[in-house]
Amino acid sequence: MPVVERNLVITNKVGLHARPARLLVQTAALFHSQIVLQYGAQTVNAKSIVGVLRLGARCGSTIHLRAEGEDAEEAVRSIEELVQRNFDEEEEGDRPQGESTTGISSETPA
Amino acid sequence: MTVGLVIVSHSARLAEGVAELAGQMAQGRVVIAPAGGTTEGGLGTSVDKILQALRLAASSEGVLVLLDLGSAGMAAEMALELFKQDHDCPVMISSAPLVEGAVVAAVEASIGSPLQAVAEAAAAATTLPKLPATEGQTAEETAPEDGTTEDRT
Repeated sequence: MPVVERNLVITNKVGLHARPARLLVQTAALFHSQIVLQYGAQTVNAKSIVGVLRLGARCGSTIHLRAEGEDAEEAVRSIEELVQRNFDEEEEGDRPQGESTTGISSETPA
Repeated sequence: MTVGLVIVSHSARLAEGVAELAGQMAQGRVVIAPAGGTTEGGLGTSVDKILQALRLAASSEGVLVLLDLGSAGMAAEMALELFKQDHDCPVMISSAPLVEGAVVAAVEASIGSPLQAVAEAAAAATTLPKLPATEGQTAEETAPEDGTTEDRT
């Protein structure tokens, strides 16, 4: 089985909080490969929302992505693109001052 | 089909709010039925409302019921008894904290996980830290800042 590994730097402001973690899990779940994330001493299943949330990876941290399976290459590429797109987060800097910078803002479209 | 969720709360608005939040996480892939307040519109739980929500969320994959406070458990169990009279759908009642449990269960259900896995994910949400803390960092980071935090406020 092919194994693909990649280091990813989390660059979105809130880090792997609820909404980004949800997107990561829902993306990972599209693939058959076994996908794990390593951060610090922790290794978690990328298809488990509790596992990904428990990592608590903040902005600026580097996580290690490892996929094993027939679609590993595609899986890693999809997750890498998602991270590089900052999980499609809006640019917080564009907002008026005093805005909440939490993961789920009232302005975030559903 | 995905596992359905029922959000039981003593407050209708709380149940609806949690369903709204969890619904955003599930991206429309999971039926999330709120059952909050009494039938008269007051604070409390209603066996009838929970039963209706169970019927709404029922799917071949099963339903996970989440509660705001332990006292909602008895009403949920009574509703479940009635529900089972005309439904064969597997149902589990979760002890997970309502918000974390519902959000985590919604994501887990959205990727097609079975009821057991959705229930386990919700239960595991009990120990999720609210603040992102890497080992040893929290104490070091927050302790020296206590004074400055007070100054700012």
